Amino acid sequence: MTAAATAELVTADLPVLEMVRPMPGFPDHRRFTLVRLDDEGLLCSLTSLDEPGLRFLVVPPDRFFPDYAPEVDDDVVADLELDGDSEVLLLVVLTAGGSLAATTANLAAPVLVNAGTRRAGQIVLDEPGLPVAAPLLG
Amino acid sequence: MLVLSRRAGESVVLGEDITITILEVRGDVVRVGIDAPRSLKVHRAELLVQLEQSNRQAASPADEVVADLTRALGSTGGTGGTGGTAGPGEPTAPSAPRPE
Repeated sequence: MTAAATAELVTADLPVLEMVRPMPGFPDHRRFTLVRLDDEGLLCSLTSLDEPGLRFLVVPPDRFFPDYAPEVDDDVVADLELDGDSEVLLLVVLTAGGSLAATTANLAAPVLVNAGTRRAGQIVLDEPGLPVAAPLLG
Repeated sequence: MLVLSRRAGESVVLGEDITITILEVRGDVVRVGIDAPRSLKVHRAELLVQLEQSNRQAASPADEVVADLTRALGSTGGTGGTGGTAGPGEPTAPSAPRPE
């Protein structure tokens, strides 16, 4: 990344997330940060620190998919160094359509962040019934 | 590629600790059982392809698209949201500036 972009992010003092489970299609992009895009912290940008300009829109799914409660395997727990006290952020990646109604969320592979250790990953659940592109508004 | 013929109930062993068993063959559907260490990630190939495509499509939306979405979510979220709800940005990005 360019020196200018690095400086900008460093001054912003954003925590660096380490993608220990990289996002499918982006295996070499390991360092991201989370930037709030609204006052509530509903819509966030998962912004790459390895490639300037690369970012993903993410939201916590609870408001849109209240029944969504993915279970992860022990190996994910180990990779993210989760324990009983870990504060975990659950986020889903949005594919922005032309409008809110055309915007979809990826429920098949949520992003999990260990807020304590900053270890993160896009977890492939491979469970039947969890769509890659679920309409955000149902 | 190694090609083997197997009947239902028969298995193939890969390495030390991976066993693949043909459970059932019905028409053009084959049910396969995989016995492997939990650390080994097993996924349907087409799902990984789908996820790669989805991520590429999701990557780096245009600024105006993000602005529109932020506005639209703000107008829907205002009714259902509680003021005290902690957003995901708070624990990880307490000092995150908001662009624009």
